[in-house]
Amino acid sequence: MNSLRLLILLPLIFWHSAGYAEASGVLAQMEDPDASAMTDDGDEEFTDEFDDEFEDEFDADGPPPVSDPLETMNRGFFWFNDKLYFYVLKPAAKAFRVLPEDVRASIANFFSHWTSPARFINALLQAKINDAGNELGRFAINTTLGVGGLFDAAKEQAGLRRKDEDFGQTLGVYGFKPGMYLVIPVFGPSNVRDGIGRLVDGVMDPKYIYLDEKPYWGSRAVEAVNEISLDKDTYEAIKRDALDPYLFVRDAYMQNRAGKVAK
Amino acid sequence: MITSRFLRAIALSSAVLFGSANAAADAPKDQLKTTIDTILLVLSDQSLDREAKREKITGVISARFNYEGMSQRTLAVNWKKSSQDQRKRFVDLFAQLLQESYLGRIEAYTNEKVEFASEKVKDDRAIVDTFIVTSSVDIPISYKLEKKGNEWLVYDVVIEEVSLVRSYSSTYKDIVMKSGMDGLLSDMEAKLAALRSKETEKAS
Repeated sequence: MNSLRLLILLPLIFWHSAGYAEASGVLAQMEDPDASAMTDDGDEEFTDEFDDEFEDEFDADGPPPVSDPLETMNRGFFWFNDKLYFYVLKPAAKAFRVLPEDVRASIANFFSHWTSPARFINALLQAKINDAGNELGRFAINTTLGVGGLFDAAKEQAGLRRKDEDFGQTLGVYGFKPGMYLVIPVFGPSNVRDGIGRLVDGVMDPKYIYLDEKPYWGSRAVEAVNEISLDKDTYEAIKRDALDPYLFVRDAYMQNRAGKVAK
Repeated sequence: MITSRFLRAIALSSAVLFGSANAAADAPKDQLKTTIDTILLVLSDQSLDREAKREKITGVISARFNYEGMSQRTLAVNWKKSSQDQRKRFVDLFAQLLQESYLGRIEAYTNEKVEFASEKVKDDRAIVDTFIVTSSVDIPISYKLEKKGNEWLVYDVVIEEVSLVRSYSSTYKDIVMKSGMDGLLSDMEAKLAALRSKETEKAS
Protein backbone atom coordinates (compact mmCIF):
# COMPACT_ATOMS: atom_id res chain seq x y z
CA MET A 1 0.00 0.00 0.00
CA ASN A 2 2.93 2.29 0.51
CA SER A 3 3.70 1.81 -3.13
CA LEU A 4 0.19 3.09 -3.88
CA ARG A 5 1.02 6.29 -2.05
CA LEU A 6 4.25 6.63 -3.96
CA LEU A 7 2.40 6.02 -7.17
CA ILE A 8 0.16 8.95 -6.47
CA LEU A 9 2.92 11.14 -5.12
CA LEU A 10 5.42 10.80 -7.95
CA PRO A 11 3.23 11.92 -10.83
CA LEU A 12 1.93 14.72 -8.65
CA ILE A 13 5.37 16.12 -8.14
CA PHE A 14 6.21 15.67 -11.78
CA TRP A 15 3.04 17.33 -12.98
CA HIS A 16 3.45 20.06 -10.51
CA SER A 17 6.90 21.07 -11.68
CA ALA A 18 6.13 20.55 -15.36
CA GLY A 19 2.65 21.96 -15.47
CA TYR A 20 3.02 24.78 -13.03
CA ALA A 21 4.33 27.40 -15.42
CA GLU A 22 1.62 27.04 -18.02
CA ALA A 23 -1.15 26.34 -15.55
CA SER A 24 -0.32 29.35 -13.43
CA GLY A 25 -0.91 31.62 -16.41
CA VAL A 26 -4.42 30.34 -16.98
CA LEU A 27 -5.16 30.11 -13.32
CA ALA A 28 -3.77 33.46 -12.34
CA GLN A 29 -7.26 34.87 -12.24
CA MET A 30 -8.70 31.75 -10.63
CA GLU A 31 -8.20 33.12 -7.16
CA ASP A 32 -8.18 36.67 -6.12
CA PRO A 33 -4.86 37.31 -4.38
CA ASP A 34 -6.60 39.89 -2.20
CA ALA A 35 -9.09 37.33 -1.03
CA SER A 36 -6.44 34.87 0.07
CA ALA A 37 -4.53 37.55 1.91
CA MET A 38 -5.66 37.59 5.48
CA THR A 39 -7.94 40.46 6.17
CA ASP A 40 -9.26 40.33 9.66
CA ASP A 41 -11.08 43.53 9.01
CA GLY A 42 -14.61 42.40 8.30
CA ASP A 43 -15.63 45.50 6.45
CA GLU A 44 -12.77 45.38 4.03
CA GLU A 45 -13.28 41.73 3.27
CA PHE A 46 -16.91 42.44 2.70
CA THR A 47 -16.24 45.20 0.19
CA ASP A 48 -13.88 42.93 -1.71
CA GLU A 49 -16.44 40.20 -1.80
CA PHE A 50 -19.06 42.45 -3.29
CA ASP A 51 -16.70 44.03 -5.77
CA ASP A 52 -15.54 40.61 -6.93
CA GLU A 53 -19.06 39.55 -7.40
CA PHE A 54 -19.88 42.56 -9.45
CA GLU A 55 -16.95 41.92 -11.70
CA ASP A 56 -17.73 38.22 -12.02
CA GLU A 57 -21.27 38.65 -12.98
CA PHE A 58 -21.44 41.55 -15.32
CA ASP A 59 -18.06 42.25 -16.83
CA ALA A 60 -16.27 38.96 -17.27
CA ASP A 61 -17.68 36.23 -19.46
CA GLY A 62 -18.49 33.87 -16.65
CA PRO A 63 -16.20 31.94 -14.30
CA PRO A 64 -12.53 31.50 -15.17
CA PRO A 65 -11.64 28.24 -16.94
CA VAL A 66 -10.38 25.25 -14.99
CA SER A 67 -7.08 23.79 -16.16
CA ASP A 68 -7.86 20.20 -17.15
CA PRO A 69 -5.35 18.99 -19.75
CA LEU A 70 -5.81 15.40 -18.56
CA GLU A 71 -9.56 15.44 -19.10
CA THR A 72 -9.63 12.14 -21.01
CA MET A 73 -7.81 10.29 -18.24
CA ASN A 74 -9.75 12.12 -15.55
CA ARG A 75 -13.04 11.13 -17.14
CA GLY A 76 -11.83 7.53 -17.12
CA PHE A 77 -11.08 7.66 -13.40
CA PHE A 78 -14.34 9.50 -12.80
CA TRP A 79 -16.15 6.63 -14.47
CA PHE A 80 -14.22 4.15 -12.32
CA ASN A 81 -15.04 6.03 -9.11
CA ASP A 82 -18.68 6.24 -10.16
CA LYS A 83 -18.84 2.44 -10.45
CA LEU A 84 -16.96 2.03 -7.18
CA TYR A 85 -19.54 4.28 -5.51
CA PHE A 86 -22.62 2.53 -6.87
CA TYR A 87 -21.41 -1.08 -6.70
CA VAL A 88 -19.22 -1.13 -3.58
CA LEU A 89 -19.38 1.92 -1.32
CA LYS A 90 -23.08 2.66 -1.51
CA PRO A 91 -24.24 -0.92 -0.83
CA ALA A 92 -21.80 -1.03 2.11
CA ALA A 93 -23.18 2.30 3.35
CA LYS A 94 -26.73 0.99 3.10
CA ALA A 95 -25.74 -2.02 5.18
CA PHE A 96 -24.20 0.40 7.67
CA ARG A 97 -27.56 2.08 8.05
CA VAL A 98 -28.72 -0.75 10.30
CA LEU A 99 -26.84 1.21 12.95
CA PRO A 100 -28.91 4.06 14.43
CA GLU A 101 -28.06 7.47 13.02
CA ASP A 102 -26.81 8.68 16.43
CA VAL A 103 -24.27 5.90 16.54
CA ARG A 104 -23.05 6.68 13.04
CA ALA A 105 -22.85 10.38 13.87
CA SER A 106 -20.66 9.46 16.84
CA ILE A 107 -18.41 7.35 14.64
CA ALA A 108 -18.03 10.34 12.31
CA ASN A 109 -17.37 12.65 15.26
CA PHE A 110 -14.74 10.27 16.57
CA PHE A 111 -12.79 10.13 13.32
CA SER A 112 -13.06 13.87 12.87
CA HIS A 113 -11.99 14.54 16.46
CA TRP A 114 -8.66 12.80 16.17
CA THR A 115 -7.65 14.70 13.06
CA SER A 116 -7.92 17.86 15.14
CA PRO A 117 -4.11 18.22 15.47
CA ALA A 118 -3.79 18.54 11.69
CA ARG A 119 -6.47 21.28 11.60
CA PHE A 120 -4.79 23.07 14.50
CA ILE A 121 -1.35 22.97 12.86
CA ASN A 122 -2.74 24.16 9.53
CA ALA A 123 -4.58 27.04 11.19
CA LEU A 124 -1.31 28.04 12.85
CA LEU A 125 0.62 27.74 9.59
CA GLN A 126 -1.90 30.13 8.05
CA ALA A 127 -1.52 32.49 11.03
CA LYS A 128 -5.24 32.13 11.78
CA ILE A 129 -4.83 32.48 15.51
CA ASN A 130 -8.54 32.59 16.28
CA ASP A 131 -9.22 29.43 14.31
CA ALA A 132 -6.30 27.69 15.98
CA GLY A 133 -7.72 28.66 19.38
CA ASN A 134 -11.15 27.47 18.29
CA GLU A 135 -9.72 24.10 17.29
CA LEU A 136 -7.76 23.77 20.53
CA GLY A 137 -10.87 24.57 22.56
CA ARG A 138 -12.89 22.06 20.56
CA PHE A 139 -10.26 19.39 21.12
CA ALA A 140 -10.16 19.99 24.87
CA ILE A 141 -13.95 20.00 25.27
CA ASN A 142 -14.63 17.05 23.01
CA THR A 143 -11.86 14.92 24.51
CA THR A 144 -13.38 15.40 27.97
CA LEU A 145 -17.09 16.31 27.81
CA GLY A 146 -17.38 14.71 24.40
CA VAL A 147 -16.05 11.38 25.75
CA GLY A 148 -12.98 11.06 23.59
CA GLY A 149 -14.60 12.70 20.60
CA LEU A 150 -17.76 10.61 20.37
CA PHE A 151 -19.92 13.69 20.85
CA ASP A 152 -19.48 17.19 19.52
CA ALA A 153 -19.99 18.86 22.90
CA ALA A 154 -17.94 21.85 21.77
CA LYS A 155 -20.58 22.73 19.20
CA GLU A 156 -23.61 21.82 21.30
CA GLN A 157 -22.47 23.41 24.56
CA ALA A 158 -20.03 26.13 23.61
CA GLY A 159 -21.06 26.96 20.06
CA LEU A 160 -17.59 26.21 18.71
CA ARG A 161 -18.12 24.98 15.18
CA ARG A 162 -15.57 22.87 13.34
CA LYS A 163 -13.72 24.75 10.65
CA ASP A 164 -12.00 22.66 8.02
CA GLU A 165 -8.35 23.46 7.62
CA ASP A 166 -5.96 21.30 5.65
CA PHE A 167 -2.54 21.52 4.08
CA GLY A 168 -3.94 22.15 0.60
CA GLN A 169 -5.53 25.32 1.99
CA THR A 170 -2.29 26.24 3.74
CA LEU A 171 -0.44 25.99 0.43
CA GLY A 172 -3.19 28.07 -1.16
CA VAL A 173 -2.78 30.79 1.45
CA TYR A 174 0.96 30.76 0.73
CA GLY A 175 0.15 31.57 -2.89
CA PHE A 176 0.32 28.16 -4.54
CA LYS A 177 -2.13 27.94 -7.44
CA PRO A 178 -4.33 24.83 -7.56
CA GLY A 179 -2.64 23.53 -10.71
CA MET A 180 -4.40 21.14 -13.02
CA TYR A 181 -7.53 19.25 -12.02
CA LEU A 182 -7.03 15.59 -11.16
CA VAL A 183 -9.41 12.75 -10.50
CA ILE A 184 -7.62 10.22 -8.32
CA PRO A 185 -8.89 6.62 -8.44
CA VAL A 186 -10.70 5.73 -5.20
CA PHE A 187 -9.96 9.12 -3.61
CA GLY A 188 -11.91 11.30 -6.03
CA PRO A 189 -11.54 14.87 -7.26
CA SER A 190 -8.39 16.80 -6.46
CA ASN A 191 -5.78 19.00 -8.03
CA VAL A 192 -2.00 19.17 -7.89
CA ARG A 193 -1.90 21.41 -4.82
CA ASP A 194 -4.54 19.54 -2.84
CA GLY A 195 -3.09 16.16 -3.80
CA ILE A 196 0.16 17.16 -2.12
CA GLY A 197 -1.88 18.61 0.76
CA ARG A 198 -3.68 15.32 1.29
CA LEU A 199 -0.43 13.42 1.58
CA VAL A 200 0.91 15.86 4.18
CA ASP A 201 -2.33 15.77 6.17
CA GLY A 202 -2.33 11.98 5.90
CA VAL A 203 1.02 11.82 7.66
CA MET A 204 -0.33 14.01 10.50
CA ASP A 205 -3.29 11.67 10.98
CA PRO A 206 -2.99 9.66 14.23
CA LYS A 207 -4.46 6.66 12.37
CA TYR A 208 -1.45 6.74 10.06
CA ILE A 209 0.95 7.22 12.95
CA TYR A 210 -0.38 4.57 15.33
CA LEU A 211 -2.03 1.92 13.18
CA ASP A 212 -0.44 -0.82 11.11
CA GLU A 213 -1.16 -1.01 7.42
CA LYS A 214 -4.24 -3.22 7.52
CA PRO A 215 -6.06 -1.55 10.43
CA TYR A 216 -5.16 1.82 8.91
CA TRP A 217 -6.83 1.15 5.56
CA GLY A 218 -9.64 -0.68 7.32
CA SER A 219 -10.39 2.32 9.49
CA ARG A 220 -10.26 4.61 6.49
CA ALA A 221 -12.75 2.39 4.69
CA VAL A 222 -15.06 2.43 7.72
CA GLU A 223 -14.74 6.21 7.92
CA ALA A 224 -15.64 6.64 4.25
CA VAL A 225 -18.55 4.18 4.27
CA ASN A 226 -19.91 5.67 7.49
CA GLU A 227 -19.78 9.13 5.97
CA ILE A 228 -21.66 7.98 2.88
CA SER A 229 -24.26 6.34 5.12
CA LEU A 230 -24.91 9.74 6.74
CA ASP A 231 -24.95 11.62 3.46
CA LYS A 232 -28.31 12.20 1.84
CA ASP A 233 -27.55 10.95 -1.64
CA THR A 234 -25.69 14.07 -2.74
CA TYR A 235 -23.90 12.30 -5.56
CA GLU A 236 -27.13 10.73 -6.81
CA ALA A 237 -28.68 14.20 -6.93
CA ILE A 238 -25.75 15.56 -8.90
CA LYS A 239 -26.01 12.71 -11.38
CA ARG A 240 -29.72 13.31 -11.70
CA ASP A 241 -29.63 17.09 -12.07
CA ALA A 242 -26.42 17.93 -13.88
CA LEU A 243 -26.27 18.00 -17.67
CA ASP A 244 -22.69 16.72 -17.37
CA PRO A 245 -21.85 15.34 -13.90
CA TYR A 246 -18.11 15.30 -14.62
CA LEU A 247 -18.08 19.02 -15.38
CA PHE A 248 -20.32 19.77 -12.43
CA VAL A 249 -18.12 17.92 -9.95
CA ARG A 250 -14.98 19.47 -11.41
CA ASP A 251 -16.28 23.03 -11.13
CA ALA A 252 -17.85 22.44 -7.73
CA TYR A 253 -14.61 20.99 -6.40
CA MET A 254 -12.49 23.88 -7.68
CA GLN A 255 -14.96 26.46 -6.33
CA ASN A 256 -15.17 24.75 -2.98
CA ARG A 257 -11.40 24.73 -2.59
CA ALA A 258 -10.91 28.31 -3.78
CA GLY A 259 -13.61 29.40 -1.33
CA LYS A 260 -12.00 27.56 1.56
CA VAL A 261 -8.60 29.06 0.80
CA ALA A 262 -10.13 32.53 0.79
CA LYS A 263 -11.80 32.02 4.18
CA MET B 1 -59.65 16.91 12.16
CA ILE B 2 -60.95 18.68 9.12
CA THR B 3 -61.21 21.98 10.93
CA SER B 4 -57.69 21.79 12.23
CA ARG B 5 -56.47 20.97 8.77
CA PHE B 6 -58.44 23.91 7.45
CA LEU B 7 -57.05 26.25 10.11
CA ARG B 8 -53.56 25.09 9.33
CA ALA B 9 -54.06 25.79 5.66
CA ILE B 10 -55.30 29.28 6.46
CA ALA B 11 -52.41 29.92 8.80
CA LEU B 12 -50.03 28.69 6.17
CA SER B 13 -51.39 30.67 3.28
CA SER B 14 -51.65 33.83 5.35
CA ALA B 15 -48.06 33.32 6.45
CA VAL B 16 -47.12 33.24 2.81
CA LEU B 17 -49.30 36.11 1.68
CA PHE B 18 -49.06 38.52 4.56
CA GLY B 19 -45.70 37.28 5.69
CA SER B 20 -44.13 38.76 2.63
CA ALA B 21 -46.20 41.92 2.83
CA ASN B 22 -45.24 42.48 6.45
CA ALA B 23 -41.67 41.68 5.72
CA ALA B 24 -41.51 44.40 3.09
CA ALA B 25 -39.62 46.80 5.30
CA ASP B 26 -37.59 44.09 7.01
CA ALA B 27 -33.96 43.21 6.66
CA PRO B 28 -33.00 40.59 4.02
CA LYS B 29 -32.41 38.01 6.75
CA ASP B 30 -35.94 38.36 8.09
CA GLN B 31 -37.49 38.13 4.66
CA LEU B 32 -35.45 35.06 3.81
CA LYS B 33 -36.27 33.52 7.17
CA THR B 34 -39.99 33.95 6.52
CA THR B 35 -39.59 32.11 3.24
CA ILE B 36 -37.51 29.27 4.67
CA ASP B 37 -39.74 28.90 7.74
CA THR B 38 -42.74 28.64 5.45
CA ILE B 39 -41.04 25.93 3.40
CA LEU B 40 -40.18 23.96 6.55
CA LEU B 41 -43.76 24.36 7.75
CA VAL B 42 -45.12 23.02 4.49
CA LEU B 43 -42.66 20.11 4.56
CA SER B 44 -43.67 19.06 8.06
CA ASP B 45 -47.40 19.44 7.37
CA GLN B 46 -48.76 15.91 7.63
CA SER B 47 -52.09 16.85 6.09
CA LEU B 48 -50.58 17.62 2.68
CA ASP B 49 -49.60 14.93 0.22
CA ARG B 50 -46.33 15.08 -1.69
CA GLU B 51 -47.81 16.73 -4.77
CA ALA B 52 -49.54 19.45 -2.73
CA LYS B 53 -46.33 20.13 -0.82
CA ARG B 54 -44.35 20.48 -4.03
CA GLU B 55 -46.88 22.86 -5.46
CA LYS B 56 -46.95 25.06 -2.36
CA ILE B 57 -43.16 25.13 -2.05
CA THR B 58 -42.75 26.03 -5.73
CA GLY B 59 -45.00 29.04 -5.15
CA VAL B 60 -43.10 30.13 -2.05
CA ILE B 61 -39.73 29.82 -3.77
CA SER B 62 -40.82 31.65 -6.90
CA ALA B 63 -41.85 34.65 -4.80
CA ARG B 64 -38.39 34.91 -3.24
CA PHE B 65 -36.16 34.05 -6.21
CA ASN B 66 -35.21 36.41 -8.99
CA TYR B 67 -35.09 33.91 -11.83
CA GLU B 68 -34.35 36.51 -14.47
CA GLY B 69 -31.39 37.86 -12.50
CA MET B 70 -30.08 34.33 -12.03
CA SER B 71 -30.51 33.52 -15.71
CA GLN B 72 -28.71 36.67 -16.78
CA ARG B 73 -25.76 35.90 -14.52
CA THR B 74 -25.69 32.23 -15.50
CA LEU B 75 -25.56 32.91 -19.22
CA ALA B 76 -23.20 35.90 -18.82
CA VAL B 77 -21.96 36.85 -22.33
CA ASN B 78 -24.36 34.47 -23.97
CA TRP B 79 -27.25 36.42 -22.45
CA LYS B 80 -26.23 39.47 -24.43
CA LYS B 81 -25.93 37.42 -27.62
CA SER B 82 -29.34 35.80 -27.25
CA SER B 83 -32.58 36.97 -28.80
CA GLN B 84 -35.50 38.12 -26.66
CA ASP B 85 -37.31 34.90 -27.43
CA GLN B 86 -34.33 32.73 -26.43
CA ARG B 87 -33.94 34.67 -23.19
CA LYS B 88 -37.57 34.15 -22.31
CA ARG B 89 -37.39 30.45 -23.00
CA PHE B 90 -34.18 30.17 -21.02
CA VAL B 91 -35.57 31.92 -17.94
CA ASP B 92 -38.62 29.69 -18.05
CA LEU B 93 -36.67 26.43 -18.42
CA PHE B 94 -33.99 27.43 -15.93
CA ALA B 95 -36.59 28.27 -13.30
CA GLN B 96 -38.24 24.89 -13.75
CA LEU B 97 -34.92 23.03 -13.62
CA LEU B 98 -33.89 24.84 -10.45
CA GLN B 99 -37.22 24.06 -8.83
CA GLU B 100 -36.92 20.39 -9.74
CA SER B 101 -33.43 20.09 -8.26
CA TYR B 102 -34.32 22.16 -5.21
CA LEU B 103 -37.43 20.13 -4.48
CA GLY B 104 -35.55 16.89 -5.00
CA ARG B 105 -32.95 17.96 -2.47
CA ILE B 106 -35.11 19.60 0.15
CA GLU B 107 -37.24 16.48 0.57
CA ALA B 108 -34.11 14.70 1.78
CA TYR B 109 -33.65 17.32 4.48
CA THR B 110 -37.18 17.34 5.88
CA ASN B 111 -36.15 16.70 9.46
CA GLU B 112 -33.17 19.01 9.65
CA LYS B 113 -32.93 22.37 11.32
CA VAL B 114 -31.89 25.60 9.62
CA GLU B 115 -29.78 28.03 11.62
CA PHE B 116 -29.39 31.64 10.58
CA ALA B 117 -25.92 33.07 11.09
CA SER B 118 -24.73 36.48 9.92
CA GLU B 119 -26.19 38.93 7.46
CA LYS B 120 -24.17 41.43 5.43
CA VAL B 121 -25.82 44.27 3.58
CA LYS B 122 -24.28 46.74 1.18
CA ASP B 123 -26.55 49.16 -0.65
CA ASP B 124 -29.09 46.98 -2.40
CA ARG B 125 -27.16 43.72 -2.15
CA ALA B 126 -26.95 41.31 0.73
CA ILE B 127 -25.48 37.97 1.77
CA VAL B 128 -27.25 35.87 4.41
CA ASP B 129 -25.34 32.92 5.88
CA THR B 130 -27.26 29.89 7.08
CA PHE B 131 -26.46 26.35 8.18
CA ILE B 132 -28.42 23.17 7.70
CA VAL B 133 -27.77 21.28 10.90
CA THR B 134 -27.66 17.51 10.40
CA SER B 135 -26.71 14.79 12.88
CA SER B 136 -23.08 14.76 11.82
CA VAL B 137 -22.23 17.93 9.89
CA ASP B 138 -23.46 21.46 9.47
CA ILE B 139 -23.82 22.39 5.82
CA PRO B 140 -23.14 26.08 5.17
CA ILE B 141 -25.53 27.70 2.72
CA SER B 142 -25.28 31.39 1.82
CA TYR B 143 -27.97 33.26 -0.03
CA LYS B 144 -27.12 36.27 -2.16
CA LEU B 145 -29.96 38.72 -2.46
CA GLU B 146 -30.68 41.98 -4.20
CA LYS B 147 -33.36 44.51 -3.45
CA LYS B 148 -36.20 44.97 -5.92
CA GLY B 149 -38.65 47.53 -4.61
CA ASN B 150 -39.30 46.45 -1.05
CA GLU B 151 -38.41 42.83 -1.56
CA TRP B 152 -35.07 41.15 -1.17
CA LEU B 153 -34.82 38.53 -3.90
CA VAL B 154 -32.36 35.64 -4.09
CA TYR B 155 -30.11 35.67 -7.16
CA ASP B 156 -27.59 33.02 -6.10
CA VAL B 157 -27.29 30.21 -3.57
CA VAL B 158 -23.83 29.20 -2.38
CA ILE B 159 -23.62 25.72 -0.82
CA GLU B 160 -20.28 24.86 0.79
CA GLU B 161 -18.61 27.63 -1.22
CA VAL B 162 -20.13 26.30 -4.44
CA SER B 163 -22.24 28.88 -6.22
CA LEU B 164 -25.27 27.60 -8.04
CA VAL B 165 -24.97 30.26 -10.72
CA ARG B 166 -21.28 29.64 -11.33
CA SER B 167 -21.73 25.89 -11.52
CA TYR B 168 -24.50 26.08 -14.06
CA SER B 169 -22.66 28.83 -15.85
CA SER B 170 -19.57 26.81 -16.75
CA THR B 171 -21.50 23.76 -17.91
CA TYR B 172 -23.90 25.86 -19.98
CA LYS B 173 -21.07 27.82 -21.50
CA ASP B 174 -19.48 24.60 -22.75
CA ILE B 175 -22.75 23.49 -24.28
CA VAL B 176 -23.46 26.81 -25.98
CA MET B 177 -19.96 26.74 -27.43
CA LYS B 178 -20.50 23.26 -28.85
CA SER B 179 -24.11 23.36 -29.97
CA GLY B 180 -25.30 26.95 -29.75
CA MET B 181 -28.02 28.57 -27.69
CA ASP B 182 -30.79 26.51 -29.27
CA GLY B 183 -28.80 23.36 -28.55
CA LEU B 184 -28.65 24.35 -24.88
CA LEU B 185 -32.37 25.05 -24.78
CA SER B 186 -33.22 21.65 -26.23
CA ASP B 187 -30.77 19.95 -23.82
CA MET B 188 -32.55 21.69 -20.95
CA GLU B 189 -35.94 20.61 -22.26
CA ALA B 190 -34.74 17.02 -22.50
CA LYS B 191 -33.33 17.14 -18.97
CA LEU B 192 -36.55 18.54 -17.60
CA ALA B 193 -38.59 15.85 -19.33
CA ALA B 194 -36.27 13.17 -17.92
CA LEU B 195 -36.57 14.58 -14.40
CA ARG B 196 -40.35 14.75 -14.67
CA SER B 197 -40.70 11.18 -15.95
CA LYS B 198 -38.55 9.92 -13.05
CA GLU B 199 -40.77 11.93 -10.77
CA THR B 200 -43.97 10.29 -12.03
CA GLU B 201 -42.31 6.90 -11.69
CA LYS B 202 -41.60 7.67 -8.05
CA ALA B 203 -45.10 8.98 -7.38
CA SER B 204 -46.92 6.02 -8.91
